[in-house]
Amino acid sequence: MLTGSKTTFKVRQLVPDVKGRMQSHGGLHVRGRDHFGLQCLPGECVLQRAVLVRKKLSAAEGGGWLAGTLFCTHFRVAFVAQDSKKPDDSADPVLFGDHDVALASIEKVVAVGPSRTKLVTPSTSLKFTPEELVVYCRDLRVLCFLFDRLTPETQAVEITYAIAKTYQPMKPGSILSFQNSALGSVEMRQFLSNRRQDCHMNWFETAADWEKELERTRAMGWRVSAVNDRFEMATSLPRFNVVPQKVLDTELKKTFAHFNEGRIPRWCWHHPCGSDLLRMASLQNNIYHEKDDIRNLEAIVFGVQQQCVVVDVAEEMPTPADIQLAHTRLRALCLGDISTNASVPDDRWLSTLESTRWLDHTRCCLKKAAEVACLLRERQLSVILQEPEDRDMNCVVSSLVQVMSDPYCRTMLGFQGLIQKEWVMAGHRFLSRANYHRDSDKEEGPIFLLFLDCVWQLWAQRPSRFQFTGDYLLALHDSAHVPLFSTFLFNCQRERSRRSQRLTQSYTPVDGWSEGPPEEASQHPSDPPFPPVWDWALQYSPRRRACFTQPVTQPILAAPAVLNGNLNANPDNHKLNDAVPGSVFLFSRGSFTSPSHLLPWRSGGGVGSYRKSHRRAPSSESLPGLDRLLKAYSLLEVCRTPSSPHDPQEPLLPLLLGPCVGVWKECYLRGALHAQAWAHPSSTSSPFASASTHHPVDQLAQEVQQLRDKLAQVSFSRAASKTNRQQFRRPEANLNRNASSGTFLFSASRPAQVTPRAIPPTSSLPKAPLPKCPITGPAHRDAGKRTFLFGSTPNGRADLRYTPTPSVRLAKNSGSSLKS
Amino acid sequence: MLSGGGGGSGGGGGGAGGGGGAGGGSGGGRSPKPSFVSYVTPEEINLTEKEISRKEKQPDLLQGEVIFCSASPIRKCTQDDFSQRGIFGSLFCTNFRISFISDETQLEEEEGQVFKNKLYGENDIPLTCVDNIYRGFDEKKKLITSGSVRNKYPSKIIIHCKDLRVFQFSLAFAKEEDAKKIFQGIVHHCLEPKSLKCIFAFSYSEKMTFSSENQTKLKTVMFDSMVDWAQEMKRTKGNCKLVSANADFNISTKYIWCWSHHSGCALFKTASLPLMQEDGCSQSYRTYMERYCTCVKTEELPETLPTIQDIQQSYNKFKQFFLVDNTTEFWMSDVKWFSSLENSGWLDIIRQCLTKAVEVVECLENENTNVLIMEEEGSDLCCVISSLVQVMLDPHFRTLEGFQSLVQKEWVAGGHHFLDRCNYLHKDKESPVFLLFLECVWQLLQQYAPAFQFSETYLTVLSDSVDVSVFSTFLFNSPHHRATTIQPVSLLAQKGPLNLPTVWDWSVQFNSAAQDFFTNPLYVEKSRQDKVPRKTFRPKHQRHQSLPSTAFKSSPKKSFFKDETDSLKKMLRVKRISRWLNPTDLTQSTTREFYEAWQRKPLDYHGLLLPCVDGPALRVWAQRYLRWLPEVQIFGGGAMTLEKKLVDLLAEVRELRGKLDWHCSVDFSHRGAAALAGSSVRLSSAFPFFVSRTWSFKPAIPSCLQKNLITGTFADKEDEDSECLGVI
Repeated sequence: MLTGSKTTFKVRQLVPDVKGRMQSHGGLHVRGRDHFGLQCLPGECVLQRAVLVRKKLSAAEGGGWLAGTLFCTHFRVAFVAQDSKKPDDSADPVLFGDHDVALASIEKVVAVGPSRTKLVTPSTSLKFTPEELVVYCRDLRVLCFLFDRLTPETQAVEITYAIAKTYQPMKPGSILSFQNSALGSVEMRQFLSNRRQDCHMNWFETAADWEKELERTRAMGWRVSAVNDRFEMATSLPRFNVVPQKVLDTELKKTFAHFNEGRIPRWCWHHPCGSDLLRMASLQNNIYHEKDDIRNLEAIVFGVQQQCVVVDVAEEMPTPADIQLAHTRLRALCLGDISTNASVPDDRWLSTLESTRWLDHTRCCLKKAAEVACLLRERQLSVILQEPEDRDMNCVVSSLVQVMSDPYCRTMLGFQGLIQKEWVMAGHRFLSRANYHRDSDKEEGPIFLLFLDCVWQLWAQRPSRFQFTGDYLLALHDSAHVPLFSTFLFNCQRERSRRSQRLTQSYTPVDGWSEGPPEEASQHPSDPPFPPVWDWALQYSPRRRACFTQPVTQPILAAPAVLNGNLNANPDNHKLNDAVPGSVFLFSRGSFTSPSHLLPWRSGGGVGSYRKSHRRAPSSESLPGLDRLLKAYSLLEVCRTPSSPHDPQEPLLPLLLGPCVGVWKECYLRGALHAQAWAHPSSTSSPFASASTHHPVDQLAQEVQQLRDKLAQVSFSRAASKTNRQQFRRPEANLNRNASSGTFLFSASRPAQVTPRAIPPTSSLPKAPLPKCPITGPAHRDAGKRTFLFGSTPNGRADLRYTPTPSVRLAKNSGSSLKS
Repeated sequence: MLSGGGGGSGGGGGGAGGGGGAGGGSGGGRSPKPSFVSYVTPEEINLTEKEISRKEKQPDLLQGEVIFCSASPIRKCTQDDFSQRGIFGSLFCTNFRISFISDETQLEEEEGQVFKNKLYGENDIPLTCVDNIYRGFDEKKKLITSGSVRNKYPSKIIIHCKDLRVFQFSLAFAKEEDAKKIFQGIVHHCLEPKSLKCIFAFSYSEKMTFSSENQTKLKTVMFDSMVDWAQEMKRTKGNCKLVSANADFNISTKYIWCWSHHSGCALFKTASLPLMQEDGCSQSYRTYMERYCTCVKTEELPETLPTIQDIQQSYNKFKQFFLVDNTTEFWMSDVKWFSSLENSGWLDIIRQCLTKAVEVVECLENENTNVLIMEEEGSDLCCVISSLVQVMLDPHFRTLEGFQSLVQKEWVAGGHHFLDRCNYLHKDKESPVFLLFLECVWQLLQQYAPAFQFSETYLTVLSDSVDVSVFSTFLFNSPHHRATTIQPVSLLAQKGPLNLPTVWDWSVQFNSAAQDFFTNPLYVEKSRQDKVPRKTFRPKHQRHQSLPSTAFKSSPKKSFFKDETDSLKKMLRVKRISRWLNPTDLTQSTTREFYEAWQRKPLDYHGLLLPCVDGPALRVWAQRYLRWLPEVQIFGGGAMTLEKKLVDLLAEVRELRGKLDWHCSVDFSHRGAAALAGSSVRLSSAFPFFVSRTWSFKPAIPSCLQKNLITGTFADKEDEDSECLGVI
């Protein structure tokens, strides 16, 4: 038994006794189902379990403790609540239950004994029986498991050992074995290969996807070029790129060499006002540029718009190293260090927070994006985001701009498409920046997490303008720490497609790419197939997924009604008729300059040595000036007539002053052991209905919706069968039952699309009577106002939704928008 | 010529109005400061047109309100220093307020009136609400103190209010005498010490008759009679004897019973004994105490909490961040926002109060001992701590009426020196102790919103009402003071005793629609079967849960609570030890443990609530402090909008339910049409207080970016060597 090393199992760090246990437990799980209530993945085996364990619930989960059983498999640490329902055997496997954590995202485990604490590592030998097990995760979660008095002491010790031996500091080998244990089984492969990509979302993988995006944004004058189909021109670029229609592929090919890594100016997004957003890397200045090249470059830059503004994104922005440092400090601040008990004193918390500079970085990105969004709004021009490598901050800024300006990007599907477009396809170095393998420490920088924080800031200020919720952002944040998803495991599209074997490997790059996944990883045919992160059903239970979107939002238009991308309705906008076609401005530090030499070969100076115009020297008011403008935009929304409260063209601009920028408490502080009570309304939930963490607004909105539907039903049935009085008795009885069971405010039941598991047993719900409603009379005077939060759209649909007079058509309408 | 002022030269300006330059010239002749000329011109023309209509404008005077002086035209400047804009109007100074009446037609009738205060409008400043007055120079400002009023008057005065509004009035356009008069009037009435009788409440209540029925209708227990106390005692099942010996207010120091825990122990507060106290007296106190309480822990607040002066200083520092004269100033403060907040120490004082209250709660709840909190006067921090303890322990005090009666019991009847602390009479004993209490409650409220029946808005309004000198609640230093003040007046006037309104009669200030904002839509009402107070003490957590740090390991129980003998010894030789004794080390162990044990239980909104006092948990009371700052308002967002949405949704649910019921019985007909009527204000994060209308005179886009782009084009064109424009 001890020498059973012949096994093909790759979990190198499994010590013999654990392996032996795996074998001895082999009989327990038939087809991956454990009879203790843990729903195992195919091939997953339970190494150890401990009964009568209690898990500390965060305030968002309702607080208090949850009793259940703790498992350690060779893939995750799982916790199954005592009274949880028996898993449905026919259901699709879900990687993580609601209380589970992947081994790979565990950072450290601390055992707490009666009088001491100890950091647990594979070589640890405990000299005490742990009473409490604290699991620190990379995604800033902290799980706290408490062993009851009734837990057999051996179980408490054994599971601590088991966890200690299976979780590892990440190394290439351990990552691979982790991936294997999660996805490597035959059943899992089968299952994954049968899974289809979500066809509602744009993956930007094919030329048709890009065409769709061009069509959606009504961009004119652009075409999809397949010149990089085999990644011959630029290894880090996607296969398809959008370039001006005028430019021929032959011309295009000549331009690649002039840019860093061949990242030529590419189209990203089209503003309804007629502006385009482009992004590019900085120019190579060590090669000879011919006259023809200049013409080709011009053609790309001025192919569609006659004016362009180059925004130097790298300027005044944090470097990846800065972000990494800030994130490390933030971690230290939020988690403290339990082994040394060094935490920031409460009265120094705010200044320590300030000194992490994380919020500064967030503001910086948001500010830059807001500036660009305003620029795009101004007039028809091309805004080109330029960064030396075009793979970090450009991703942040361009996607933030689109979140601000494009309502579609504030839906879940739109947001996922946006990340596909601006991050995944554009070649953000996810692998290096995430540093899963702990081999590229210098490259590490959680730029994607910074982006998520920026989006959260926007979301927190105006949650009603988003379809997705903070829970969704949080889930995305957590998934980025699990090295299982193809989305985050590769540095560029080329690596990704090599890995998925979709492309024949006929081409070897001239300049060998050094980074990337380990060579042997991509050559093993036995390696597990990586699913994309967007397959949420794979990761999260339906209950968690139900919280990802707001149940009732305004129907977001697929495309704003713009005529030929040429709507410049604002009469205040002076068009620059006299502007010379083909003029380039450089936007930097809040003011414009006209660079004498955008292209470096003109004067021989290096890139970025633009001569600043002295006439427009940045004055002291230039900085607040622009902020003021941003403010004015948000005020502009207020001044609009009620009929069109938000113009779809108006960017959603964030407020960036100190009091307005907050800490993403639900994310960063959920682990802080002593910080439990949270102010954010979304975490106010009933203590009992811990299953439903919905915001009361959502629940009420649902209630309204349900009542409306019922009312519509009743009126319909009444109209249909006036004689049959029994028919409309039924809904009334329904309603009464609903009212008397008191599920009114914290009702967890959602409309039909949720599986029964999502609904907690009604008996566990509080007998909460109708909350005291301050409005005594009927609500006539509020009727007009109630659209303010979720807004109303200019078209008639929204008006219909909020008309209190019921009709059957209304019910259908609202039902569909609910699902959207 | 100069004294000709407003009307005459205004007419001249109107005559020359055709040419902007000419108008500017005449303005220059009239105004002592030629620097104003440049930007006045457009408004000037408006001014003459409105000349006639302005004559009629008068503030709507309250009963008993008298106008002292007035001046016009006065320009009220916006906080925005870039656009030198403002509204013209007249400034009045009455015995109640400083009032600015705009010349412009009032458009606000439809919007923003949701939350109108009946006593004062948004451009009115109650005299007692004035915090500081500054004279403004071009860029600088100088504090005006009461003594420094000279014959001169500044061209611009800046008024900082206690409710954190900032007003800037430019006096440069008014007649010289008027301007001087109004300036001196304002300074005199706002800054000079005065007598209690001058406070507006007295003249107000003389004229106004408040029916006493109105007061009995209020459910708030006022604690001004024996019955009230007895009932409260019964409610909490306290077992103390009611002492009526103090009925004639001649005993100053005594133990005051505050509240009884359901386990039988009670909370007392007292003033500390005077230094030279003969033995017999203290002996009697001891026997008094021993009779009722077998075991008492004494807590001397001054030892661990900041002094009244510290509180005042810290608050002064803190509020400066929010009293913003112009927006640039705010942008500047933004850079170091968090650390400057921290440096003011205000949040830390809140934290200390909350921590102290948690300690007292622990003694009552966990150790079941009586607690006596002591303070030199027994009426400042004692009130804060004892009321906080009660809010945490007793769900009754988290209802609207309960909270109001708590304030009555602990603060009004408890003899908090409201008059001194609110500084109505400008006597330098000011300290925002009551505000500190409200802040602490707000922290609790924002942490456990569903546990409170009242809303954030209620607390904000309550904190504002302190500075409106109308309510009897905040007018007196003690019940004794109140009784003696009211009595003689009635004798002279041959009337019944003065009937001052209490602040709890909210209809004095707000109509019922606005009062709806006071209740918390999230409040989870107690269900029936829970109403019976639990007798059984919850069993403590069985297994001793050690904490993940060596600091928490079973250390000997040491806390501030000393044994009785020790405390009595101390009482005899009252001596003040250093206050800032580091509280964390000593109390951490037991309190932490208690706190953790509490956290393990599921949160019960009708049970004990303990605040979280960690660094990130304490926040700035955004609604109170940031509401007037347009720069930080989230339009279409923020917590208030959510709350409003909730209220609306609840109303809609009710309506729909009703309709459904009605629908099932009566025939179908359309009645929803009327429901659509109503204004739709876009709400901001400071919703009930600050409405978007204030910004309507701003240019839609101060498009400096746009200008930048255009002028930048030209300027750069000129700048560039002609060889390379644009790219090549």
